[in-house]
Amino acid sequence: MSQSPAPVPFVDGLRAAADLRLPGSGHAWLDAARRENLDAFIAAGLPDTRAEAWKYTALRALSQRRFAWGDHTATSRAIDPKILTLPGVDGPRLVFVNGVFRADLSRLDTLPAGLTLQPLSQVLEQDPEPLRFALSRHYREASDAFARLNAALAGDGVVLRVAAGARIGKPVHLCFVGASADGDLAWHARNVIELGEGAELDLVEHHLSNAPQKHLATLVSDIVLQDRAKLQHMVLQHASEDSTLIRHGSLHMGAKSHAALHVLELGGGLVRHDVHAELRGDEARLDTRGVFVLRGRQHVDTQLAIRHQALNTASESIWRGVADERARGVFRGAIVVAQGADGSDASLSNKNLLLSSQAEIDTKPELEIYADEVKAAHGATVGQLDERALFYLRSRGLPHAEARALLTTAFCRAVFASLPNETLREHFSSALLAHLP
Amino acid sequence: MTIENDSPAVLRDNADVAAALGRRYEAGFITDIETDSLPPGLSEDIVRQLSALKGEPEWMTEWRLKAYRHWLTMPTPHWAKLNIGAIDFQAISYYASPKNRPKSLDDVDPKLLEAYDKLGVPLHERAKLAGVAVDAVFDSVSVGTTFRKELAEVGVIFCSMSEAIREYPELVQKYLGSVVPTGDNYFAALNSAVFSDGSFVFIPKGVRCPMELSTYFRINAGHTGQFERTLIIAEEGAYVSYLEGCTAPMRDENQLHAAVVELVALEKANIKYSTVQNWYPGDEEGRGGIYNFVTKRGDCRGDDSKISWTQVETGSAITWKYPSCVLRGDRSVGEFYSVALTHHRQQADTGTKMIHIGKGTKSKIVSKGISAGRSSNSYRGLVKVEKGAEGARNYTQCDSLLIGKKCGAHTFPYMEVKNPTAIVEHEATTSKISDDQLFYCRSRGIGEEDAVSMIVDGFCKQVFRELPMEFAVEAKKLLEISLEGAVG
Repeated sequence: MSQSPAPVPFVDGLRAAADLRLPGSGHAWLDAARRENLDAFIAAGLPDTRAEAWKYTALRALSQRRFAWGDHTATSRAIDPKILTLPGVDGPRLVFVNGVFRADLSRLDTLPAGLTLQPLSQVLEQDPEPLRFALSRHYREASDAFARLNAALAGDGVVLRVAAGARIGKPVHLCFVGASADGDLAWHARNVIELGEGAELDLVEHHLSNAPQKHLATLVSDIVLQDRAKLQHMVLQHASEDSTLIRHGSLHMGAKSHAALHVLELGGGLVRHDVHAELRGDEARLDTRGVFVLRGRQHVDTQLAIRHQALNTASESIWRGVADERARGVFRGAIVVAQGADGSDASLSNKNLLLSSQAEIDTKPELEIYADEVKAAHGATVGQLDERALFYLRSRGLPHAEARALLTTAFCRAVFASLPNETLREHFSSALLAHLP
Repeated sequence: MTIENDSPAVLRDNADVAAALGRRYEAGFITDIETDSLPPGLSEDIVRQLSALKGEPEWMTEWRLKAYRHWLTMPTPHWAKLNIGAIDFQAISYYASPKNRPKSLDDVDPKLLEAYDKLGVPLHERAKLAGVAVDAVFDSVSVGTTFRKELAEVGVIFCSMSEAIREYPELVQKYLGSVVPTGDNYFAALNSAVFSDGSFVFIPKGVRCPMELSTYFRINAGHTGQFERTLIIAEEGAYVSYLEGCTAPMRDENQLHAAVVELVALEKANIKYSTVQNWYPGDEEGRGGIYNFVTKRGDCRGDDSKISWTQVETGSAITWKYPSCVLRGDRSVGEFYSVALTHHRQQADTGTKMIHIGKGTKSKIVSKGISAGRSSNSYRGLVKVEKGAEGARNYTQCDSLLIGKKCGAHTFPYMEVKNPTAIVEHEATTSKISDDQLFYCRSRGIGEEDAVSMIVDGFCKQVFRELPMEFAVEAKKLLEISLEGAVG
């Protein structure tokens, strides 16, 4: 289905990438895995809208562009450290500029006990063997095209481990910065994260950029939660509105583990976010919350796939979308309850505000149920702000724009009510408000 | 034991026998009458022969050939959540008609009438009592239309498609393929090339059709497919309620049924289309059964028009069907009410499409899926609001009920909204019959099977009340029969 008859500049440009020297090159298995993934990506090309997973996100424009594959001066690009700070986030920090680890901007000196935190490039140069399994993964689905590209070209990222039973008090801050470069740049980061039995971690993932170029970034994260582990994962995406950002996260959850994901998508020109969660152990629980607020010509596509595979697992997902001006918001929330996953309780709600006649919302909540002792429900709406509420606020003297912003914030705020880090929650709210027109 | 699912009295009499026999397909008899059929196979020649056999004019033959040529270029669709065995289109006979062609209802082969009798179709005398005008399609040919005269008096045309092509070519040429174009999809293209007969309904301006119109389809001959084509046109301010029922005998092979139904509603017209589909579902191991691949679409062409689809789907090995509404006229209304039940190894992928184009258009979708045994039951729907559809409104509710641990119930709703004044809402739930509900009924002395059928009946009520009365009774009974042996 995804053959490329005519030469596609994007794919053509990739052939040169085969000769890139990446961290870890020289290890036969890693070279083979990278080569294989690159060949597979070039053979299949970019997925088109006939592929179900890309039905609402056309990559035509992207396919016509050429990128530089890697930034050789990333380590010396000037970054104002002030832009990296987030209120309420003062733990260890790992900073990547154009996909390359920056020791000078990171904060790794005083790691709490039980936490191993290293850039992937370092691990690959020292001893990549422990990552063999994670880095030799094969991606076959059309939705995984960029994961394949990432597997072929990523040379840096985060390797994070929390030892069994360790509770990491301060949130770990991962910062991905797109910086000004000599031309359009493609960079890739790969994260391997594992929480041992009963481990607890707060993780903040922060995307930002100040580059005038139209970078392409791909980020693949494999997160494993062993039994009874607890993860709070918060994502603030504030990339520049010219950039393309593709994130692909997979989450494997053991028995009685608990993961909570909070996502705020504000930036990016073309953003695709895939979350594949597998609740593999009995009584695992996943909560996902997310908001995108779009304007201009932004296009954000969130694809949530949650698979209940064990007894008494639960998932609750609450997502909100706001599309203004000429923006397009796409949401897919698929819940699968596998055979034998009795006692599963799954719910998903996706509500959207469509604020302009040039904007578009496409949403597709899905349920696939193969067990009968289940509770599963989903709901999705597309609508606009309540005229009466607007009138109420205006009659009390609020200007139209302000009344609109207030109601829109209220619409989105519910999503972050469950965020335990209060300072960060407030920051999310004000970032959201600032982003509104 | 034969089927008599038309009157509650007979049903009650048979209930004990049915219970004793366990679940079986009650319409599974074969009527042994001589049939004329084309040899199996599909080619341009077959299409020409078929057209010649039916004495069709040149334009119709060309229309078919165009569709056939287009079909050859199309790939088989694989997007539905269905596991379809390869279909050998060359092994199917595309035309089978009862040999003694009837001149009028009185000339109809008594065996054939007997077959309809068994099915409980109120043909002939019984029709008068029931007050339903019936066009019965047996294999490929329409065998008789009742109440012609009464309908003609008010100007309603209700006849077979072949007759319409001969008698009303200008109407057919104007509307045929205008809702479902020949190349719309794989099975619609196939149907356009080889459709053998079907019903044609024309309700002139301002006429409220005085009775419910009805078609009964039956596949009788082996190795045949049924490809009927229905076209209903309601002019300005007209109203019609149309019922459709289907059955087929038990056979080990899979038979193909690829129909196309087109509805056209002009200004202020109102079409209500109800289906009770009870094609042979195959046996418990999934052998045999009908492949039911149907394209149904209504076009609300005029302002303030309304099209309402109601379907009860209990039969067929595989159902692939999405009755849709194109809401073109301002303030037009589309409705879809569905109960789909799958048992044993049946597969259903069904739902609807509501395309909002006109201003102030409204649509409502209520879908109830019940899966039992090892079956798979999916709702797949699209609600699309185009840029110009100011103030469009949609409400969708999809509920699934699971009976047993080996079945699947799935929901795939698509919502595409391009207008900021539109409101689109979708809600879906999946659950099983709760132990609490069962316990409540059991503690009041209601047997388990009765309790289940009562709960299922309540689950489907929202849809059943949209059905015309006699159909509602049939649907309820069908559901009960289909669910026998599903519990315990």
